[in-house]
Amino acid sequence: MSLSTHNLSVGYHNNIVVDQVNLTIPEGKIIALLGPNGCGKSTLLKAMARILPPMAGQVQWQGQNLHKIPSKQLARKLALLPQTQPIPEGIKVVDLVSYGRSPYTGFWGRINAEDKRIIKRVMQETKITELANQLVSELSGGQRQRVWLAMTLAQDTPYLLLDEPTTYMDLNHQVELMHLLRQFNKQGKTIITVLHDINQAARYCDHLILMKHGEIIRQGSPETVLTKALLKSVFSLNAQIHQDPIAKTPMCVVE
Amino acid sequence: MKFLSFPYSGQCLVLSLLLCLVGWISLFSWSVIPISPHDALSALYAMNDDNIAHRIVHDLRLPRAMIGAIVGACLAAAGVVMQGLTQNPLASPSVLGINAGAALGMAIVSTITPWFGLLGTSMAAMVGGGLAWALVMLLGNAWKTGGEHGRLVLAGVAISTLCAALTKAVIIIEEDQASGVLTWLAGSLTDARWQTLDQLWPIALLGLLGTLLISQSLNLLQLGDDNARNLGVSLLWVKLGGSFLVLLLVGSAISAVGAIGFVGLLVPHMARMLCGQDHRKFLPIAMLMGACLVVLSDTISRAIIFPMETPAGAILALIGAPFFIYLVRKRTL
Amino acid sequence: MKQSRPFPTLITGMLILIIANLMFGAVSIPLNEILKGFQQGSDNYFTLHEYRLPRTLLAVLVGAMMALSGALVQGVIRNPLASPDVLGVSHGAGLAAVIYMTYFPASSIDWLPAVALVGGLLAALILWWLCGQSSSAIKLAITGVALAALYASGVDFLMLVKPLEINNALLWLTGSLWGRGWHQLMMILPWLLLIPVAFWLAKSLNLIHLGDDTAMSLGINANKLRLVSLAVAVGLTASCVAVCGPIGFLGLVAPHLTRKLVGGRHQTLLPATMLVGAILLLVADLVARTIDPPIELPAGLMTAIIGAPYFLWLLFRTK
Repeated sequence: MSLSTHNLSVGYHNNIVVDQVNLTIPEGKIIALLGPNGCGKSTLLKAMARILPPMAGQVQWQGQNLHKIPSKQLARKLALLPQTQPIPEGIKVVDLVSYGRSPYTGFWGRINAEDKRIIKRVMQETKITELANQLVSELSGGQRQRVWLAMTLAQDTPYLLLDEPTTYMDLNHQVELMHLLRQFNKQGKTIITVLHDINQAARYCDHLILMKHGEIIRQGSPETVLTKALLKSVFSLNAQIHQDPIAKTPMCVVE
Repeated sequence: MKFLSFPYSGQCLVLSLLLCLVGWISLFSWSVIPISPHDALSALYAMNDDNIAHRIVHDLRLPRAMIGAIVGACLAAAGVVMQGLTQNPLASPSVLGINAGAALGMAIVSTITPWFGLLGTSMAAMVGGGLAWALVMLLGNAWKTGGEHGRLVLAGVAISTLCAALTKAVIIIEEDQASGVLTWLAGSLTDARWQTLDQLWPIALLGLLGTLLISQSLNLLQLGDDNARNLGVSLLWVKLGGSFLVLLLVGSAISAVGAIGFVGLLVPHMARMLCGQDHRKFLPIAMLMGACLVVLSDTISRAIIFPMETPAGAILALIGAPFFIYLVRKRTL
Repeated sequence: MKQSRPFPTLITGMLILIIANLMFGAVSIPLNEILKGFQQGSDNYFTLHEYRLPRTLLAVLVGAMMALSGALVQGVIRNPLASPDVLGVSHGAGLAAVIYMTYFPASSIDWLPAVALVGGLLAALILWWLCGQSSSAIKLAITGVALAALYASGVDFLMLVKPLEINNALLWLTGSLWGRGWHQLMMILPWLLLIPVAFWLAKSLNLIHLGDDTAMSLGINANKLRLVSLAVAVGLTASCVAVCGPIGFLGLVAPHLTRKLVGGRHQTLLPATMLVGAILLLVADLVARTIDPPIELPAGLMTAIIGAPYFLWLLFRTK
């Protein structure tokens, strides 16, 4: 019951992208937001991360209006990895990751032993330890994505929000990332991620939320969401649902 | 290049010593009445009222050097904050119109309603600079970081041109002789006295400390608005607070010595080359460097057509404009 | 329709402004006195003949030439922000002229246009060298503006190091028609020869707007055209700057306004823009002289006050 939306409408200028959505995020799970381009999944995610203010309704964190909670306090509860990242000049990997600790540090950003331990841990988890002293601007796209993920992880939050984290990655890094998310989930994090790949979502996530035109069409376990009829109506796709031979999760095959 | 690899505290120390050295040289060099280097020092701790060299050092040179140092630190810090807020490597008080706006504000107040006094003029400088900057940021769509860099700069240049034209118009209409104003528009330390210093330092100190307080937030702004907010930075407060600090710093500096340009553009880049992107580290370095640069160019400005003086700002503009071009070329705009 | 109508209006407007420029100033001269004033020995002969008439004619010529130069530059570099002053050519010419005057005070003032031309050409070459052929509109404009600032600070510096008379200083810093007379008018007369050259380019300028490849297949040598047009533009600007200092934004604003009036066909655009430029400078000088007589503002200030907001407006339309 920690994170929920109530009649939430969000948009840009006068354009409503997410329309009166009521959603309760099931705690302790990996949740995927799915839907065709422009369905409002990223917008919904940004609103839940208080990046976008609601036009109507509200997002609630433990019953409080999320957008009223002091930003720094909230930054210890949920962390967002945006879809596209700037490429900051002249910043070293280890410095960027350490910026993830800023919700816990004072105005001067001084880092203590505990912070250092966490930074070291997340850099190991994301396998960027050996990149520590390189400049972020000199890394490849996939490496950079992992560095940003490490920064988000360094925030050490119970909730992790990711906006299409696998988009710029090679397939092996995508698989690695999804495994990593599972590992964090086992440690108790709730993970909400926007994904493009339906099969990836079905295989690694516990709870899928299917969106179209700013509304939630269906949510639930992969088995209940990935049906022939829903894929047809949401993606206009003729697809068959089979069982993944390894993970035993549903898998859609386009006809 | 060895200096580049100095540890941070060493860099600070070297720069502080350099500032002392430059300040000391500025106390005795190029004086119509000869002042020995020793006089310059002894005037500081064993002032002799009858010694004319001591009098000059104490009454003219010392406040001048101190004002130069403070102004340099203020402008450099303002440049750092502006570049941090806009994420634009070309942002600085002179490029984004604050200097010209402040000059216009002061020109209007001091010619049309001269009874406001010195406090009034520094208020006018802040209001004028603030309005000009707000207009530039609005037109350049730069309140959200990561806007188009080139457009912001051109907007700044256009607003500067407009303000400069209006300033000159006001001045020519209100007073016949404009040469003093020309000097002031270029920025000069000629009229810097103890009285000016008394008014300058409290505001400047406040502003400089303020920039140190927001330096970590500036670090986080480098990651983009969304990430900064996600890390708990209150963007509204940082941007408003940062803008206010910039106005405080630039307004007080300009009302003390006139529109000295390019320090705010030049110094942050030099400081970054020395000690990287961490604002907590390079902000103090930038302040020291700015102080050295202004005191040094003030000394040079006395030397060029000795015994007459040229405005220090004119010299800085000659150094600064090529650097500006270099930055435009280097950066992808 | 659109091409035939503006000319009578523009010419009438210009004539009215010429008369207004003769009438108003520190002393107003009534309309019926003006014709009488040109007879030697009359009360107003000196004011009119020696002071206002050459100045007014100069305003017409300089306005027209600056505008023409701007139209050529905009025609060749497909960049709405381009103009001799935005690209730093005016200030480059001004700097050369000031260097010449301060370091060779004994030499004749008649060489000034040639010196300014050298400065302007150098400025154009430097810009070309810095930006190359493929620069975005914004980047070219920023580099030009930065160079202009550099030259201006050079002028500023020379003015402060070797103080001239202050009105002279303002002339070179902002551009002004103050104290210009028959001599200066004679100085720029030879440069009027560039105007027919510009008209001769008009047809090719239309074609180059279709893109280099199309122009090439229609038999235009794009690079050569670009070179000739820019050289003519620099020549026009430099001769004006030598006489009046860098009068800002005229070369930028006039062609744009004219394009709105008569469209983009250069055969009509070029003559029309000359009229518009003349009108703008006449207005600017008239306002500058009459706003608070006997003090007068440099006309360059007035054009900047009009031109800078216009530039801003253009900036935010440019993609």
